[in-house]
Formats: sequence, structure tokens, C-alpha cells
Amino acid sequence: MNSSALDSEAPDLVCQLDNVQGMVDALTAVRWKRSQDAVIELSEHGIVLILEENACLQAKVYLQRELFILYEYSAHGRPRFGVSLSLFVDCLNTFSVPGHSSTIEIRYPGPDMQLLLKSVDSLDAGIYAEIRTRIPDTISWDYNFEPAGSTPITFTVKSAALKEAIDDLEWPGSSIQITLQPVPPTVTFRGDGHGDLQIDFMYYANRDLLMAFHCDSQISHRYKYKFLRAMTSNIPVSVLKDNRGSKLTVGRGGMLKVQHLVSVARQSIPNPHIDSAGYQHPSRIAYIEFFVKPEEDEDNIND
Amino acid sequence: MEFILSGNALKTFARSITCLSRVGNELAIQASPSLLALHSINSSRSAYQSITFKPGFFDVYNIAGNQVECSVLLKAICSVFRTPIASIDHLSIELPDPDASKVQWTLECYSGVRKAYWITCNVEPNIQHLSLDRRRFPSNFVVRPRDLNRLLANFQSSLQEITVIATEPTSFPSDAASEIGGKAVELRSYIDLTKDNDSSLHTQLWIDPAEEFVQYTHTGDPVDVTFGVKELKAFLSFCEGCEVDIHLYFEKAGEPILMAPKFGLDDGSSSNFDATLVLATMLVSQLHESNPSEPPQAGSSMHVQAANSTGSQAQGRSGVNISEHPSEHTKIWSDLSGSATKSGNGAEGRNLQGETNLNANANEQKEIPRFSAMHISKTAPNRENEPLDPNICHPVEGNNVEEPRDRSENNGQGFSQRHPSNWVDADEDDDDENELCVQSTPPYYEEQ
Repeated sequence: MNSSALDSEAPDLVCQLDNVQGMVDALTAVRWKRSQDAVIELSEHGIVLILEENACLQAKVYLQRELFILYEYSAHGRPRFGVSLSLFVDCLNTFSVPGHSSTIEIRYPGPDMQLLLKSVDSLDAGIYAEIRTRIPDTISWDYNFEPAGSTPITFTVKSAALKEAIDDLEWPGSSIQITLQPVPPTVTFRGDGHGDLQIDFMYYANRDLLMAFHCDSQISHRYKYKFLRAMTSNIPVSVLKDNRGSKLTVGRGGMLKVQHLVSVARQSIPNPHIDSAGYQHPSRIAYIEFFVKPEEDEDNIND
Repeated sequence: MEFILSGNALKTFARSITCLSRVGNELAIQASPSLLALHSINSSRSAYQSITFKPGFFDVYNIAGNQVECSVLLKAICSVFRTPIASIDHLSIELPDPDASKVQWTLECYSGVRKAYWITCNVEPNIQHLSLDRRRFPSNFVVRPRDLNRLLANFQSSLQEITVIATEPTSFPSDAASEIGGKAVELRSYIDLTKDNDSSLHTQLWIDPAEEFVQYTHTGDPVDVTFGVKELKAFLSFCEGCEVDIHLYFEKAGEPILMAPKFGLDDGSSSNFDATLVLATMLVSQLHESNPSEPPQAGSSMHVQAANSTGSQAQGRSGVNISEHPSEHTKIWSDLSGSATKSGNGAEGRNLQGETNLNANANEQKEIPRFSAMHISKTAPNRENEPLDPNICHPVEGNNVEEPRDRSENNGQGFSQRHPSNWVDADEDDDDENELCVQSTPPYYEEQ
């Protein structure tokens, strides 16, 4: 915290990130439309970016302060502002030089409430950007995710397999039914449209596929395909290559929560946070969360 | 019916589906205790692809009863094969009973994922079957897929039809220009100039069958066959993937050609499947003048019968079609046809006359005139009386002129005439295609 006497004039946040590409990856994971408006919320814990669609789908990106090499927070309360996600990501991309880890400083607010970005480590050229922000006019709907019962119903599946399954499920052209059954432990995705497709993930078939599975009674809900697609269509390649898993939890009423982990670590230069090749210190990981409401009809279908 | 397959058989099966999907839209499945047959025919009925599998091809092959038939959309089957083959442990195809409305295709993946597709059977399957006896074709050649790929690479990739001109290897007089000596086969691009295509790259390739083909058999007068490149390339990919040579059987213009994989004698394992591609060819020969008794171009779809035989009623049918559609590929611009003809075989008069018919039917142009397999036989003898050999020898030298090619029905604008000045004049003659004079690439002119 900045404790200078000019506290009231200090920006709410000054932070520096040493791997812009990681942040771009994390934010790209929540891009499912060409133009999306995001709400950014700043706190002493980090930056949260929130997107919504139709009151049915919400996405959050958590960039906690440990991801940054510098994080000076001096706001009172939690400033929130709206920004165009595509604009923000495109702008970050201009700072990102392939093969070279670039350090960027983000500062808010500027004199006119803009978001200010500048490059800090290049000796021969400097990049400076300002992004206009908006007053967010809608309060983010707090999805208030509650577990379905006493034990959460959840499973963790390889992100690449989940993405492939949802890509395949485009073919039926229908909403998708997700069923979890305890015996035998199986997760089933099913679409019935102009053709039927059923994809089964069986816990005992391959231990690498379903990395965790908790379900004590069968549950089944339908979800619009486009929302499921939004959750997986832009999973960064690094997530797929690192064999990471995505965790899916079914809450009360069939609300579906999907969590991905995106590495924001620097690749080229050794980082004190990285203990060994491949192992990422948890603080170098951005958390992505999606919440999807089910289609209204059913609740707890027994197949 | 129920089949299960895996490993290399699965790869071949996937390749078969890809090949069939490049020919037609619907897949006809006919299963009997001794054979599984997959057919597809294209919408203009000029290409028929059939791939058959013996029971030994499969890990499990069960048929209830004598014959099970159904028909599905190929696009749906292609969706099944979006999953990378390398990740599939095995595929099962199941039709629970002959009247079932859906066929089930189930993939078991190494990752532990199981994907089950239920594909709706077409309600009114239009299952056609065509079989041609390979022995009826007097000429044939065998070529390695990569060699054929290499030859085709000389042609514009957007080429739609290609002409193969086959001559007897020893028929050239010894004083023929050395460039053509021994090059008994010509591949030539066929450009349908009635379509507004910018692709005015014409290519001719003379090859020595002894060098390029594994085997080549042709005796008698030169013949030519013109057929679609898209289906040829589909079959080529199939054979390349299966690592077998392509056997192409042909007779002459107007008669269909047949392609099949040529399995080596020691290749016992791959002979538990077979494939046949039958393509209709253009009625009009690129070598001969058109028969004066009929309009220059005619087309009718390749006649495919539900029964096994190629119907003899095709003749009558195509006769009707010829008069109804006298000009399926045509020069629209009659003034060009007059100036374009070079050979003085009276083609001019015929062409102009043909033109007036053609213009009326300009709206009915199709890409390639197709016609029944049986039709040609009555007109063929006329053609074969034309002296050909001297014409064939000509196009060797630098002028690249192909006299027999002068038939302007085929050559639309006239700039496919081989006289050098035609290349340059083409755009001047043609007011309708201004883009030609702008778009032609410099080498096009410099060549002349």
C-alpha cells in the first residue's frame, strides 16, 4: 500500500506484470463473442474481470496480486469500471512481443478515468496506451453458487477432452444434457437433434481422463449449446498442452460452474516462483470461472 | 447388422468415407453376409464411387438375414470421423434391425471417452448400383499415386476437367520431332469457356508411358477421354493413403472410365477391400471433328440403373437428350467461333450453325456434358475414320498448335487454338470478357 502523503492523488492501482502473453491467454479464454463488455473490479487481492450474457452465462477471470511483480493498491473500497474486452485484449497484444517476455505497467485511473498501460522494460522504444472506461450500469448478477446437496457434485476432466467433446456436440444442433451418475461413475453429455450424439466419460476407463469424481445420486440437466461452447471454445493452447484439468460442479437448481486454470508464468527467464520445470507456483496461475444456468425444464431427470 | 473395426482397417475405412464424401452426398450401405458395399453417386450423376469390404476386413461382422440396406448422409458420417483416427481404439457400426430408423456409430477412444452417434437413415433411400465389367475396356494404364500427383501438379489446381489422350506407343513415324517421340500419352487441361472463369491457364503435358506409368495398354487409333478432376483427385488421395497404385480403364470419348486400386500380387492383406470409381466422359472428342449428324455437344446424365446391368435403354434416352440440350458446353459468342477455327474441315459452318442453337440454350449450360455410357457406340465409327496420326504429330513443335483441337466447340473463345497469335488476340476478340486482357499474367504473353 502506498503510504505517501499524496494518497488521495495516487492512482487506485499501479501494477506491473512481467508476462503479458499470460494475461492475454487468461483473458482470451473468456472471449466468446466479437464484442463483449467486461466489468473490472480492483481490490487489494487482485483484479477480477467479469462478463455476462443474457443473465444465463457469467465468466470471471481472477488475476490475484501474486501474479504481478508489483502491485500497489491505494483505493478506498473496490473501484469498478467497464471496458471493452476485445479492445483490452487487442491492446495487451500490442505489448506482447513473441519470444520476448515484456513487462507492462497498468495504472488506474488516468486523469480521465482511463486505464493506462505502458511498457517498462524496453530500452529502445516505449509503448503507451490509454483505454477509455465506462461506468458499469448493471450490477453483476451474483450467481450465488450453492452446492446442490451436502456433498458437492463435481468432477474434474482433462480440459482438452472437455473441449473436444463440446466441439463434437455441435453436430446434433440441440441443447446438451449433462448427466452424472454414481454407479458406475460416469459423466454423459448428450445432444438429440437432427442426429443424436452421446459422449461418455467413464471414471474407470482411464484414470487420466476423469481426475476426480464426486456424485452420490444421479443428476441431469440441459444447457444451451452456445453457452457450453462459450466455456471451452477459447481455452488457451497452453492449457491443452499442459494437460490441465477443468473442474465442473453442479450446484443447486442445476447451475453449472466450470473452472479452468491458465498459467501466467514467464517462459524464457527463470522465475523464483517456479520450483522445477513444469511445476507452476500456484500464484502464477489465473483462475477462470464460468457459471451457466440450465434450461428451465427439468430438474433431476432420471434417465 | 453389426460391424466392428480397428487399426489399419479403421484407417482405410475412414479414407473410404473421405473419398465417397468427395463424390456424392448420400451414402448407400448394402450389407450381405459376404460383402459390405458402400456407394455414392454425385448429383449430376457423372461419378459413381463404390467401395466394398469383405467380412475379413472387420473384427466383427454380423448380418441378420440376407441383405441389409440403408442410406445416410455422408456429412453425418464425416462428423463421426472428426475425431482423430489415432485416438480411436475401435469403431462399431450397428443397425439393430433392418427397419431401424437410425444407424449407431460408436467410437471407443484410447482416452477412455466413448462417443456414440445415432445417424438417421434416409427415408427413401435411392440406392443405385452400377457395375461395369473391367474386361470391356480395351485400354488401361496403371500409375503410382505420387507420380500422378506430380503430373497433375503441372495443371492449375482449380482445373475442373482434364483430357487424357492415349495413342499407341509405336504409332509415331520415326521422323516425328524428337520431343514427342515415345510420348504416347498427353494430358491436357479442358477449359469450359462458357463459364466465366478467370482460369485461362491451359496446359498440355506429353508423357512417355513407359517412364511415368507402371503399365500401359493401348492399341489402335488414338482416343481421348475427358473427365472431372475433382473425383480423380479424391480417388488419388484414397489410393495414396492405401499405398496402392491406380488402375485406370478407358475406351474412348463418351464411354465412361473406370478406376480401381491395383493391388500387388503379394499384398494379400489389402485385398479384403476394393474400390471402383466410374466417371462419365465428355461425348465430344478433343481429337476429332464433331459428327455432322448431331449438334456438337450433347449431354445426358450417366445412366445408372437400379439393377446390375448397364441399361441398353440408355441409348434411346440420350438420343432424346441430345436434341433437347444440344449445347451443354458451348461458346456463347458466335463471332468468336467463326474466327477461331483453324482447321478447314468445315467445322466453321457446323459451329456457326451450332452456335445459334447454343445461344438459345445458353442458360442451360452445365459444367461438363455428361452422357450415357452406351450412347457413343453408334457415332464412334465415324470418328475413327478421321485421319488422326498426322494431327497428333503436329503439336510438338514450338508453336504448340493442336490442329485437331481446333474444333471451336471445345475451344470457346478461340484462344485455345494453338496458333500463337490467338493467344494475344484473344482479349481483343472478346469484348465480353474484359477481365482477360487485364488479368492475364505477363508470362502468358511473353510465352508467345
